[in-house]
Amino acid sequence: MTELLLLLIIQALLASVPILLASLGEILMERSGVVNIGLEGIMLLGAFVAPLAVDYLRYRVGMWLPDLVWPIIAMSAAIAIGASVGLIHGYISTYLAGDQIISGVAINLFAAGAVAYGIQAYWGVAGYKQVPDWAKADPMWVTVFTFIVAGIMWYVLFKSRVGIIIRACGEDPDSAYNMGIDVYKVRLLSTIIGSALASLAGAYLSTAYLSVVTKEISAGRGFIALANVVFSNWNPLLAIVGAFIFGFFDALSYWLQTVGVARYEITRMIPYIATLLIVAGVIGRAKPPRAVGKVFRRE
Amino acid sequence: MRIPLPLLDVVLTLVTAFAIGAVVMWISGYDPIMSYRSMLFTPLLDYTYFFSALAFSAPIVLTGLTFAVGLRAGLFNIGAEGQVYMGALGAVVAAYITKSSLALPLALFIGLTLACVWSLVPALLKIWRGVNEVITTIMMNWIAYWVVIMAVSTVFTNPLQPEESIKTPEPARLTPLVAGTDLTAAVPLSYIIALFVYIFVKYSVWGYRISISGQNPIVAKSYGIEPMRSIMLSFLIGALTAGVAGVMQVVAKPPSYSLMRNLANVYGLGFDGITAAMLGRGHPIGVAIAALFLGVLQEGARHMQIEAGTPFEFVRIIQGVIILLLAIQMLKKT
Repeated sequence: MTELLLLLIIQALLASVPILLASLGEILMERSGVVNIGLEGIMLLGAFVAPLAVDYLRYRVGMWLPDLVWPIIAMSAAIAIGASVGLIHGYISTYLAGDQIISGVAINLFAAGAVAYGIQAYWGVAGYKQVPDWAKADPMWVTVFTFIVAGIMWYVLFKSRVGIIIRACGEDPDSAYNMGIDVYKVRLLSTIIGSALASLAGAYLSTAYLSVVTKEISAGRGFIALANVVFSNWNPLLAIVGAFIFGFFDALSYWLQTVGVARYEITRMIPYIATLLIVAGVIGRAKPPRAVGKVFRRE
Repeated sequence: MRIPLPLLDVVLTLVTAFAIGAVVMWISGYDPIMSYRSMLFTPLLDYTYFFSALAFSAPIVLTGLTFAVGLRAGLFNIGAEGQVYMGALGAVVAAYITKSSLALPLALFIGLTLACVWSLVPALLKIWRGVNEVITTIMMNWIAYWVVIMAVSTVFTNPLQPEESIKTPEPARLTPLVAGTDLTAAVPLSYIIALFVYIFVKYSVWGYRISISGQNPIVAKSYGIEPMRSIMLSFLIGALTAGVAGVMQVVAKPPSYSLMRNLANVYGLGFDGITAAMLGRGHPIGVAIAALFLGVLQEGARHMQIEAGTPFEFVRIIQGVIILLLAIQMLKKT
């Protein structure tokens, strides 16, 4: 039993990583004033592109590269796709003054289609592809990396000049603009970096944590991350706590399956029910950045 | 004659989206011309296929209304997906309870009740706690997904065909209006509901209250309108239409008249509704037209997969691109 409990805690830690990475990305974006509900889709794209890129390159570039390199290439590919989607979303949200929520919905829909289509088109299988061992990264690496990112992001947002600039764009873009800050550029860059992190969360799912790509691999984690952003009050360090709680319920659902106490359908509901309860319980004290989701226009 | 700007917007959007789609197909090694030909022309040139496209469009009209009515109240209600599952579950439960023609009204009653219960959770959380409906509706969708899968694989499973639920009893089925097609009364019913919703939001007092609350809750309050009631009402109307969609997917879908165990015949309808609502600019009649277009795409996608080998899921890529372009185009109006 103690062994099983220890397993549960380690699993909770590993399950919290994608939620934390995506939350950190969203915190950065929202602090700069851009809301991105396309996290789910970006995660899905990252989860798909990471193994896709290494599969494609290994066949073409050759096998001579050391094995250590492949996971890095996979992660980089995910970061690249995430950044590209972030560029599109950020550009729409800033320079084009588009509707951020609609753009986010579009990203989710597009990704759901593109990944289901892509798995079928590239591997010729319907929505389920095992990731080969040589493409896999050690989940612990990513876990450590994620915690470092959380620390850095907290420091940058709350202790540095850059952080003041980012937060100013999310709180009061007009004043920020009058102080000579290019609000558009700050928001665009934050969105690119934030989306890249969300995509990395997806790559972690497919190439480190679950070692499989499916067309539903993100399974609502993007939205759980959104809930975690609210839970953490837009604070990267509190997001660690929140991600661990959400990750715990995610891991618990698989753990209960191993223990065999309930039908798997019931255990799979747990993360979503927990999210509902947590969000309902803590939302009262949450205080979003004032200008989040609002279009900024130069006078 | 001057072409109205919103229409031009939509046409431009569609053309651009299809162009981007062609590039995606070409990169992934499929033939865009052949794919588009079988996707767009096959359903339009044969009446069986066209009726099938109409049948595909019916649930999309209804889920589109869910999202469109939500938009009017200033909500992003993405809960149609889960409410469709619950509606379908209701129809299965009714079939389990009685084998007579009573199963039809019972299906509607149970299905709509379940769908309303499902939308009540995000509605109340929004009203009492101010929780963002995007997160709560998505969570409810996932919970519905596992609840319904469990129900269909246990109590309501069909011993003869384990891949699906028990079937709607024959007297309670809606049969095809034209023999040999799958065009049932569900199609006219869905479009009539769209018309009703249009009249409701446009001409009724409550429809007006919903619009005012959606545009400006503070103004609404000063007029003595309680925005929270409008929110509740628009959630419930949305649940009713999505619920009907779910019920119809079971009682009016020849030849199976059942719910697939993997939810294949209800999955994704909520997302299609979002596209329809966006494309129809949130106007119930526009939603109906957009749903018809999506119905043609759905039917066409089957032919595309058969004739050109291009995966069915391509349709969803196109939908995503369309909405992304619509997000951009909003700027020209404001």
